[in-house]
Amino acid sequence: MSNLEQHLGTDWSAMTGQDWAGLIITVLVFFGMLITFWLTLRPSKRKELEEEKYKILKDD
Amino acid sequence: MDTTAKPQYDNGVVQYLTVGAVAFLVLGTFMGTFAAAQLAWPALNFDIAEITFARLRVMHTNTVIYAFGGMTLMATAFYTVQRTNGVKLWSNAMAWWTAILFTIGLLAVVVTISLGMTTGKEYHEQEWPLAIAIAVVWTLYTFNFMMTIASRNKETHPNVYVSNWFFMGMMIAITYLYVVNGLAIPVSLFRSYSLFSGVQDAMIQWWWGHNAVGFFLTAGFLAIMYYFVPKQAQRPIYSYRLSVIHFWALMFGYVWLGAHHLQYTALPDWTGSLGAVISLAMIIPSWGGALNGMLTLSGAWDRLRTDYILRFLIIALAFYAMSTFEGPVMASKTVNALSHYTDWTIGHVHSGALGWVAMVSIGALYHMVMKLWNTEMYSMKLINFHFWLATIGTVFYIVAMWVSGIMQGLMWRAYDEYGTLAYTFAESVAAMHPYYAMRALGGLLFFSGAAVMLYNVVMTIRMANAKSTSQVEAHA
Ligand code: HEM
Repeated sequence: MSNLEQHLGTDWSAMTGQDWAGLIITVLVFFGMLITFWLTLRPSKRKELEEEKYKILKDD
Repeated sequence: MDTTAKPQYDNGVVQYLTVGAVAFLVLGTFMGTFAAAQLAWPALNFDIAEITFARLRVMHTNTVIYAFGGMTLMATAFYTVQRTNGVKLWSNAMAWWTAILFTIGLLAVVVTISLGMTTGKEYHEQEWPLAIAIAVVWTLYTFNFMMTIASRNKETHPNVYVSNWFFMGMMIAITYLYVVNGLAIPVSLFRSYSLFSGVQDAMIQWWWGHNAVGFFLTAGFLAIMYYFVPKQAQRPIYSYRLSVIHFWALMFGYVWLGAHHLQYTALPDWTGSLGAVISLAMIIPSWGGALNGMLTLSGAWDRLRTDYILRFLIIALAFYAMSTFEGPVMASKTVNALSHYTDWTIGHVHSGALGWVAMVSIGALYHMVMKLWNTEMYSMKLINFHFWLATIGTVFYIVAMWVSGIMQGLMWRAYDEYGTLAYTFAESVAAMHPYYAMRALGGLLFFSGAAVMLYNVVMTIRMANAKSTSQVEAHA
């Protein structure tokens, strides 16, 4: 195995339940972030979201 | 001013919490200054167990974080949730109970710590009966806040403003972090043993410890920033979408950082690397958020010349940006090898605690005092004076700690040509003396600013009360 392969390789058979739980949560969080970025930064959402910021200026 | 057209909110409890927060700022910074002076001049311990450095330090952290920080968070949360949702508190009585029990609980915490009762877990020193009481009070606070949002008129207020999200994120995260880290087996009324031990104990402790910073001292105070910066500047926040990204990135990201406090310990090496990498990644949302706040002023920077309250809020953002850059640098293994266990950490903590948390709170507290008592401040000049005392005090503090911290790190690792250590530990302690004196001076300036604020707030309230009494008499 090259150094890089050794560095990046994973012994999947040695993964414990906790390792899997951690891996799955990490991957889900990653996609969660991607979805949030997409939902928030879509140009079509711009007007609707930016309108929110004016509301508090007249709340009292 | 005409108040009849204004919506009616539950202001009494917010007034109580606002004044309480200012009083605890004075008390907490007094303890900090005293502790700093003890490090410079140890005779100030006076051989009195209840106020020796070891106890005073923990009394200081509990007073500034929980009593001052916690009361500020309660005051601002109850203030903003009503205004952003256009409703009164879901339960004013519950809010009063929360505020009073919180005050009593925290005074009890400070007294028991001074008597030597502690779990020994940092930021979680409260022994189990008090820890349970605090958890219950926190739950009441959270419940009331959420129910207030739920009770809004969804036709007039279909969406929930972003400051409320930050508050809710903080409330939920702190609830489970505090409870899990506090799991313990009581053996007597004021003695308990943690359920965790060894490496797990360390991991859980810093999972809590860093998130106390990330959620309590950051997310909560960002909620304050997202409401009070636009209100004080009378301009909308620069980008609402950026605030949404800021929120989710903090919520997803912060929980992974804790292990950066445990580099080069018995923890598996990869956990420290993970902590360091995510710390680095957090610079992006943190700076995005800081810029979002600062750019709110774009086109109106001249306001800073005349609006002293806005100055507190904006300099707080500058310190927020600075410490969220410094933190990730210190999380990297190379820098951590030098900085860990030194005063550099203390300097970093206080650039966040004084520069960010205290400054943004002070700005919000002044703003609320004027709104809640429907008056101008007794003296605007004193606010300006306070601003300079606080800023110069903070700079003195952090510069002293940078120098002493880096010096300590270098002295501890220096060795001579035979491979023996060049300095004894005692020599490194002696070398710190001038910097400890400088920090005590910085603290004194910051504390004096807090005392000036208390005076100004008390005089403002007296002035407002006298005015309303004379108005009532004139009508009669
Ligand atoms: C007059 C202002 C202040 C002074 C002079 C001061 C002084 C001190 C001192 C001497 C220590 C112990 C350092 C050591 O063990 O070497 C300390 C620790 C600490 N202070 Fe302050 N403090 C001040 C304000 C604040 C504020 C407003 C906050 C939070 C909002 C704060 C949060 C903390 C924390 C979290 C620690 C523990 C740091 C650690 O363990 O790494 N301090 N402070």
